[in-house]
Amino acid sequence: MNSASGLSPSASGRRPVTGDSSARSVIVDARDVCRVFPMPAGPVTAVRDVTLQIRSGDHIAVRGPSGCGKSTLLHMLGCVETQTSGTLLFDGQDVSRLSDARRSLLRLRQIGFVFQRFFLLPMLTARENVELPMSEAGLAKDVRQQRVKELLEYVGLAARADHRPSQLSGGEMQRVAIARALANGPRLLLADEPTGELDEATGAQIATLLDRVNQGGTALVIVTHDAALADRAGRLLTMRDGRIESERVR
Amino acid sequence: MTALGFAWRSLVRQPARAALGILGVAAVGALLFDMLMLSRGLIVSMQDLLDRGGWDVRVSAGDLPGSGLRVAHALETAEAISTLPSVQAALVIRSASVEIDRASGVPLRASFQGVATRSTNPAGSRLRAPWTILRGRDAEASDEIVIDQHIASEFKLEPGGVLTIRASCVGDLEALPATQLRVVGVAEFPFQTTESTTGATLDALKMACGGNVGHDADLILVTSKGDADGTAAAIRAQHPDVRAATNNEVVGRLQQTGFTYFRQISSVLTTVTVSFAVLLITVLLTVSVNQRLGEIAALRALGFSRLRVVKDVLSESALIVGIGGLLSLPLGLLLASGLDRILKGMPGIPVALHFFVFETAALGVHVALLVATAVIAALYPMRIVSRLPIAATLRDEVIG
Repeated sequence: MNSASGLSPSASGRRPVTGDSSARSVIVDARDVCRVFPMPAGPVTAVRDVTLQIRSGDHIAVRGPSGCGKSTLLHMLGCVETQTSGTLLFDGQDVSRLSDARRSLLRLRQIGFVFQRFFLLPMLTARENVELPMSEAGLAKDVRQQRVKELLEYVGLAARADHRPSQLSGGEMQRVAIARALANGPRLLLADEPTGELDEATGAQIATLLDRVNQGGTALVIVTHDAALADRAGRLLTMRDGRIESERVR
Repeated sequence: MTALGFAWRSLVRQPARAALGILGVAAVGALLFDMLMLSRGLIVSMQDLLDRGGWDVRVSAGDLPGSGLRVAHALETAEAISTLPSVQAALVIRSASVEIDRASGVPLRASFQGVATRSTNPAGSRLRAPWTILRGRDAEASDEIVIDQHIASEFKLEPGGVLTIRASCVGDLEALPATQLRVVGVAEFPFQTTESTTGATLDALKMACGGNVGHDADLILVTSKGDADGTAAAIRAQHPDVRAATNNEVVGRLQQTGFTYFRQISSVLTTVTVSFAVLLITVLLTVSVNQRLGEIAALRALGFSRLRVVKDVLSESALIVGIGGLLSLPLGLLLASGLDRILKGMPGIPVALHFFVFETAALGVHVALLVATAVIAALYPMRIVSRLPIAATLRDEVIG
């Protein structure tokens, strides 16, 4: 397998980040962010007064009971949800002031998402699924093909490049999804219950792969109920009732 | 992968749905194409028939040629018309019913057109009958006749053969003696109906009728020297008792009367077919989009813009309508040919007249309506994907 790449960890040319956290660049700077959902029975506050900084190379796990606001926080960090109050800066830009198109572009180039249910497109092969974000980003075909090859080798699925999701196992689908998330070399990779649909052994393989992505320099935020997966993180945030109840730094 | 490529893969992913949509559009598109051809088909075809012989003004006793009324003193009238400065030639047409004797069996009923040209212009006098000679030559002497293809086949006659006819020139109860005429040509008659037709000079008709023709004629065809409107006006001024109309005016009058019916039918059916196509595609696309909300939300989370996912839906609609629309053209032409045959079976319809006529403009309107269908049908599903709340959809998909 390749090491982290320029697209993702290794292909971006970024190097594994170690040492003093203050020396690393801040990717996300969230200050007192809240997210309130208007509901027929009254507003529900999913996330309240969360202040969080994510630096390049960070490995963060977010745990907490169901409904505590983990996924909503992840979506705000990933710029798919905007905060009701507070400030969220991505690379110094106030996300709430960006248009939908600018936020899409930001996600396309800077953020990768890995979902519990993979959400691979069933009519496309593994190769095509990984190529899709690059194509959207306007990369040349030869560059795309080279990067797809590297990424599939990186996740150990070079031999399954022409297989459709229906021909892959759950673990393989998640590895393709990780390759897809790394397609445009994101600075931040967000994973929402990435092992939620997998058995323990396969989950461990995915966890190892995510570790490797993080070691390549990509900041990683994982929302999980899986204690083993969470324990691998350098920072473990525990949420309750929309707040960060505790933070453990390893 | 472009939006179109992506849409193609989405279609292939659900072949049954795609086939249903494409076949639905092909069927609806074929009907739409036919309605567009029908809406102007009669007009275009009639105009073509009228213009075909080179006669650009028609003089008759009634509002429309063929109304049954006859022009009195037709030869004198044609003579006078031919002296007008803008007229090149005038042709008198008098028709009669004939029975063509067979060696055995029931005689064949046919129409017999006798024509006479009047012109002060040497070029004009060469203009002859309104029929087209297919084989042989035109009838010139009073014992010569041209026949249509049907009679030629039925009686195994070719130029050089002899035809025995019994004419009824004033009323059906006449019992005129048989007349033998020499077949000199086989012709195509532009306004021929399902009834067989023969043609000859007016003198031949008079001879067949035993001189019992009178001085009136069914129609006088006039060729102007270029100014049909001016010629028609001059004829009306010269002969206030007759109706002179240019070919365009005849078509205009037909549009206001019988042809309107077909235009109205085609307009109604066009609206119905387009509405049906819009509903069909909207339903198919909406179902498809609703089945893929999670995937679409994931693509949006991965950075696909709102415009891109909207383009995907529009491209899918365009593909369904585009492929269906392409199929609709041969299907529509095939259907039109069958319907044309059925409609032409109505009595009194000239064989050369067509209800469905292909025109580039009809194809243009067909394409424009299909493009509009693709866009309108995609509006609602496009709205769904453009307003899709990414986070909420991802959450719902996991919970679901």
